[in-house]
Amino acid sequence: MEQPVLSSIKKKQTLSPLDFLYKHGTLLAILVVIAYFGITLDRFFTYDNFSDILRSISIVTLVAIGITFSLIVDGFDLSVGSTVSLATISSAAALVLYRQEIFVTLLVPILLGIVVGLLNSLLIVKLRLPDLLATLATMYAINGVQLTYTKGFSIYNDMPLPDGGTAPGKFIPSFLFIGQGEVFGIPFSVLLMLLIVIVSHLFLTYTKPGRLFYMTGENREAARLAGIPVNRYRTYAYVISGFFAALGGIVLASRIGTGQVSAGASFLMDGVAAAYIGFSVFGAGKPNVIGTLFGSILIGVLLNGLTMMNVPYYAQDIVKGVILVGALALSHMQKK
Amino acid sequence: MNGLFMENIYKSFGDVNVLNGVNFHVQKGEVHALLGMNGAGKSTLMKILAGDLSPNEGTITIDGIEYQFSSPSDAKKAGIGLVVQEVDTALFPSLTVYENIAADDIVETKRRPFLSWKQQKQRSEELLRQVGLSIPLNKLIHECTLHEKQLILLAKVLSSSARYIILDEPTAPLSETETKRLFDIMKQLKSQGVSFIYISHKLKEVKEICDRVTILRDGTVVHRGDVSQLSIEDMIRHMVGRSYETRKKETRTYSDQVIFEVKHLLIPKTNTTVNLQIRQGEIVGIAGLVGAGKTELAESLFAHTKTTGEWFIRGKRYTFSSPKEAIEAGICFIPEERRKQGLFMSETVRTNLTVRLLSSLTKGQWVIKRKEAEVAQQLIETLHIRPSSPHALVKQLSGGNQQKVVIGKWLQTNSDVFIFDEPTKGIDVNAKAEVFSIIRSLADKGKAILYLTSEFQELLDIADTIYVMVDGQLVKRFLAKEVTYEQLIYYSSGGDFHGTTSPFINKEETNVISS
Repeated sequence: MEQPVLSSIKKKQTLSPLDFLYKHGTLLAILVVIAYFGITLDRFFTYDNFSDILRSISIVTLVAIGITFSLIVDGFDLSVGSTVSLATISSAAALVLYRQEIFVTLLVPILLGIVVGLLNSLLIVKLRLPDLLATLATMYAINGVQLTYTKGFSIYNDMPLPDGGTAPGKFIPSFLFIGQGEVFGIPFSVLLMLLIVIVSHLFLTYTKPGRLFYMTGENREAARLAGIPVNRYRTYAYVISGFFAALGGIVLASRIGTGQVSAGASFLMDGVAAAYIGFSVFGAGKPNVIGTLFGSILIGVLLNGLTMMNVPYYAQDIVKGVILVGALALSHMQKK
Repeated sequence: MNGLFMENIYKSFGDVNVLNGVNFHVQKGEVHALLGMNGAGKSTLMKILAGDLSPNEGTITIDGIEYQFSSPSDAKKAGIGLVVQEVDTALFPSLTVYENIAADDIVETKRRPFLSWKQQKQRSEELLRQVGLSIPLNKLIHECTLHEKQLILLAKVLSSSARYIILDEPTAPLSETETKRLFDIMKQLKSQGVSFIYISHKLKEVKEICDRVTILRDGTVVHRGDVSQLSIEDMIRHMVGRSYETRKKETRTYSDQVIFEVKHLLIPKTNTTVNLQIRQGEIVGIAGLVGAGKTELAESLFAHTKTTGEWFIRGKRYTFSSPKEAIEAGICFIPEERRKQGLFMSETVRTNLTVRLLSSLTKGQWVIKRKEAEVAQQLIETLHIRPSSPHALVKQLSGGNQQKVVIGKWLQTNSDVFIFDEPTKGIDVNAKAEVFSIIRSLADKGKAILYLTSEFQELLDIADTIYVMVDGQLVKRFLAKEVTYEQLIYYSSGGDFHGTTSPFINKEETNVISS
């Protein structure tokens, strides 16, 4: 989708402060936040810190791109956080409990992510449940599944097993490379994220299916009457959302080197906020991948700075909530 | 002074005068028909009576007391009841019958926070008996049939002791027996001194139930009198006026070859089936009043609603279960609700125009922008879409230009059949002429055209063959050059289909052509 260039041309003579804020507010906010932290915090402008920020952003961005796809078809996926947890646990289990090599370790969580997406689309597209409620239900159910499977314990190298022995496998280097490795000094996970951002952006902007995704979300009835298989595209969107959440979970497991239970829960809120902030980037007015990337950069920088300022993690939720409300308010004001 | 008197009512919206000094009198205990074509001012007059709108000028006197309504509840207190056409908008679907009937009381009761449900139930029972309905009081509204809901609404109106009740197209959703029952109830209430204002397009029923009639045309009363002294033909003549000229039609030629045919097509809403044939290059019109089932027919033809039937396009047999299949077989649909069903409002003109052409504009799955821009520009020029930029957003276009975009997306798809549902709705005269010329040129290229509308004059202008649709059925077929506007109104108002003599034919020379 091309950015609506014309609307900006038409409104040029009357670009009110609010319009300006809407179009460039996100970028402005990122710059202000970086400047503020740069001045107040000594260690903020260091290579290590930036690499840290980018690593944490990479996971949020992957999850948020999935959410962006569900938003594009005018849906919503609350289950992504649980899917991240499920993927984290399942890849850790494959490595540690079943001594699998890299292929199976990647395949299992990704398949599980796709299954979650199919389940969501079964509920939403076939059974026509409201998307928020259906994915709220799957969110709880999937969280329950990963908790039940691990009985609430994390999975880590050399963990003791109920039969008295220790776990046969461990986190192998090739798997750890995903979240911890570097290529030419750049974290691999960041490269992966950039690659996926670019590919999804090109796909959504310049290809036929990309355009049909947007049209399905923009006006489902008109899309159906134009012969677009809208239910198929909605199904794809939820499957893609599950896939990216699973990918995020893999990167998370690899980054922390253990399978933490419910580790993905916080990514739901971060991802949703990133995707909605993305609406406003460059005044796009609709979900878009580049905007989502900027959204997660804003959140990542903010959380990093707050952590360095010793703001406790529970208080950071307040900031996240306020940011999401701000992004929503801004995009709704624009619609009016 | 008994009765309802609306005297010298004026109402304008902006520069448009909708009512020009209307006098409307309803006597106690009568059924009074209010007739007029679309836009004659009926609904505005009734909205004023129901307190929904304030008149610019004029007085309302009910049983000797003059009123100035500033809200619908004022009108309700003065004894005006309104049974709306869309009964579902006035009831709470998940509440019970008696709770719905008591709803107004609950809102009105300010002093007592607690209500006696026992009392309400008794009262509801009594009211339901009055309207001749015997259903359990605990039944939920969404389990009731349309007919039951209508009577519940009537009971609810009676509960606020309404003496003048407006019935807006009450029989539209009813079967024949249900209509009879409604009429019996009306007669009974009439004998108790209740008056009805009866708005309907079904003139046969007006003849049957109404005592007196007021006919509006362009915001003025053109006739007032006893129904018994007025034939259906006279009513139509008053409603239509004499301004409709029988325009000379350029004769179009079309081939004898049927290229589109549908057999036993089910229209689920009315549970009727339709058979239809269109020849190559023929423009077939469907004339039907609002609610006759035209949109339902169009959506069934396009398989937008779940339906059954057989389609034949150039002799090949199809059955469709989705619009996608219909499109692939060569059917195009220009829907009535163009913003809701035909356009992607926040997308560009280009994106809207090329949605059906993407397959031919892609390499792999990659859209070739240059080629797409060319195609879009070409369509914009053929259709004279203004502004002529392919990058304009559709929501910035006027209604007429939006409609051209909706049509434009089908033009290069090589389809054989074009279905237009009310294509001139909400567009100006120039755009209308342009849409007509697009339709003619499509027909001249040998396409089969189906044109559904309630604007009958348009059909006389553009169609070659006209079917009249009533209650989901095609009841009459005419050649456009052999039928008059009045006849179309007559048959679509439920006039006699089986009569041996056609109305208006004899009088045509004296009355219609002289205009």
